[in-house]
Amino acid sequence: MIIFLQATVEGLSLAAIYSLVAIGFVLIYKAMEVLSFAQPALAVVGAGIISSLAVDRGIPFWLALFLGVILTGILGLLIERTFLRPMVGEPVFSVAVLTIGIDILLRTVLDSWIGINPKYMGDPFPTFGNFGAVNIGGVNIKYLELAALITAIILIIILSIFFRKSKYGIAMRATSYDQEAAMAQGINVGRIFGLVWMIAGILAAFAGFFITGGFNTLSQFSFISALRALPAVVIGGLDSIPGAVVGSVIIGLTQGYVAYYQLTFESFVGFSFGNGFSVVAPYIIMFVILIFKPDGLFGTEEVERV
Amino acid sequence: MRGRPNLYTDYQKESSIFSNNTQKSWFGILVTLSVAFCFLASDYWILLLTTSFLIAIAGWGLNIVSGLAGQINLAHGVFIGVGAYASAVIGGVATSSVIGFELDMIFWLPLAGVAAAIVGLIIAPITVKLKGLNLALVTLALVFIGSHLFSNFKSVTGGAGLGRKVATLKLFGVNLERGIEIGTLYLQKNQILYLVCLLTCIFAGLGVKNLVRSKAGRAYSAIRDGDIAAEALGINIFRHKASAFALSSFYGGISGALFFTVSGGVEPGTFSLLYSITFVAIVVIGGAGTVLGPLFGALFYTLFPALIQFFLHIFEIGESSLPLNLGQLERLLFGLFIILFLIFEPRGLWGIWFRLRNYFKAWPFSY
Repeated sequence: MIIFLQATVEGLSLAAIYSLVAIGFVLIYKAMEVLSFAQPALAVVGAGIISSLAVDRGIPFWLALFLGVILTGILGLLIERTFLRPMVGEPVFSVAVLTIGIDILLRTVLDSWIGINPKYMGDPFPTFGNFGAVNIGGVNIKYLELAALITAIILIIILSIFFRKSKYGIAMRATSYDQEAAMAQGINVGRIFGLVWMIAGILAAFAGFFITGGFNTLSQFSFISALRALPAVVIGGLDSIPGAVVGSVIIGLTQGYVAYYQLTFESFVGFSFGNGFSVVAPYIIMFVILIFKPDGLFGTEEVERV
Repeated sequence: MRGRPNLYTDYQKESSIFSNNTQKSWFGILVTLSVAFCFLASDYWILLLTTSFLIAIAGWGLNIVSGLAGQINLAHGVFIGVGAYASAVIGGVATSSVIGFELDMIFWLPLAGVAAAIVGLIIAPITVKLKGLNLALVTLALVFIGSHLFSNFKSVTGGAGLGRKVATLKLFGVNLERGIEIGTLYLQKNQILYLVCLLTCIFAGLGVKNLVRSKAGRAYSAIRDGDIAAEALGINIFRHKASAFALSSFYGGISGALFFTVSGGVEPGTFSLLYSITFVAIVVIGGAGTVLGPLFGALFYTLFPALIQFFLHIFEIGESSLPLNLGQLERLLFGLFIILFLIFEPRGLWGIWFRLRNYFKAWPFSY
């Protein structure tokens, strides 16, 4: 039972991280119908900025986190303005490949900065902070996991209020509903695109910090963790924010349970799934779900006309 | 009509593989030059061109499914891997850790393609149901599942970080590992490989050209341009999407088998996401949906590092004075080229070539 709870907690904290990246994906997809493969790169770049500010420059952690998040948001905005803007109206495939190009660009620069030695993030509370953990009834919960969970919940609440109440949030919803009609209503659609990328960048930076915080460290392979938000998005449906969250929970829990129960299950079945199966399991789940529901669990079915 | 080769009087002539004498003679010249190249150039250039031939074959494969049939495939590297391992098992030497049957090249080369095509067909029921971005994401999942399998099937692949030796070079019972003598002509191993790859590349290229003008090729383009409309016209979507995938995988498998025979060993870590994406980039840079595009893209990709070094040399920039090392610089510029081509020349290198050709064709007129 304790193992089950432990796996659940770890799975949920992973889910929180994935949901941050996944919401970024969905926001961009809803606004521009673009699938941004650059999102994982933005996450690790955000982590890199935070690490370089907090550890290398010695800026107090909270300020470094704030600056890192804002700078990543601005980076997202810049990417939209420079690379994505000329591609409005091009086929989705071209734009998707373009974001892969951006991903290569960002990660190459980051990799050369990281080098061989993994980078540590700063520590918000030097006395216990990132590396500590609390023990509740035998279940070991890292502060970092707890922080990820709380941050994700707070950010999702802020976002949902933003979409319901604020002027720009409503403008965004209008844009995702119908770009031309939104334009006719006087909404600056170009600005909305930029704003969407900025929000996606901010969310990615938070996710990047939680992926690489504590003992995890930022290495050249950190982006693969952020990339796992993709199956989450697909499971939930590309154009559904609640779907992204549900998909993330499914993916996170799968990863958590597989990590803890793989050995038991393997001895039960009689053959091995191999090392690192917990990392692949989300993709297999995505495969299975897509066979039955090609638009994901919550995605709107595409109606096509000839 | 004999004196007017550019005047087509029937459809069959216009759609033939070489529709006019200019193309025929250029093809002849290029083939002769490429064969001659093998006896004149240094080992470095021979290796470079061998690699680009193989990348072109893989590029053509991806081009069939992505450029022609419009199905995004981010997992081409996996099919290349399947081909590489199939050839390694069929043609490789067995050791204590890996299996191998040491068969002839006439067995392992086609079978590598067939094995990859079978894998393509196995996943076809899933890929055919999906389209657009969802398909892209499923193929992305394939990359991860594929590389997981590659690193865990130790008896076939040797395991992650270790890898295995690939197929031995044996054709019609003659061992070519140490080169052969035909009369007074002595061919080294790399020259033999070059010629084999050149021949395969020519066949693969002609195959694509032939496919484009065939019924299946037209069906692929119809599916790309509008799959519902294509279905309404009586095109069997399932059969054509699946066959496009299988054909593309076949090309990938052949290319993979030869590619790793050239490099000598294969390690599961090679088949990462970036490896698969490289081929997407090559097709995009070369020109998606065109016959010559992937060849241009492959040449560009392999000559690119040499080009960078050339420029560094000209401007007398030392490698140590750069903020990035050479590999990273290549990757950075490669990413940049993907972006720039997509924004400014979506038809890729082929588009540039097309405009140049038309300019000189109509010279001195501008149209």
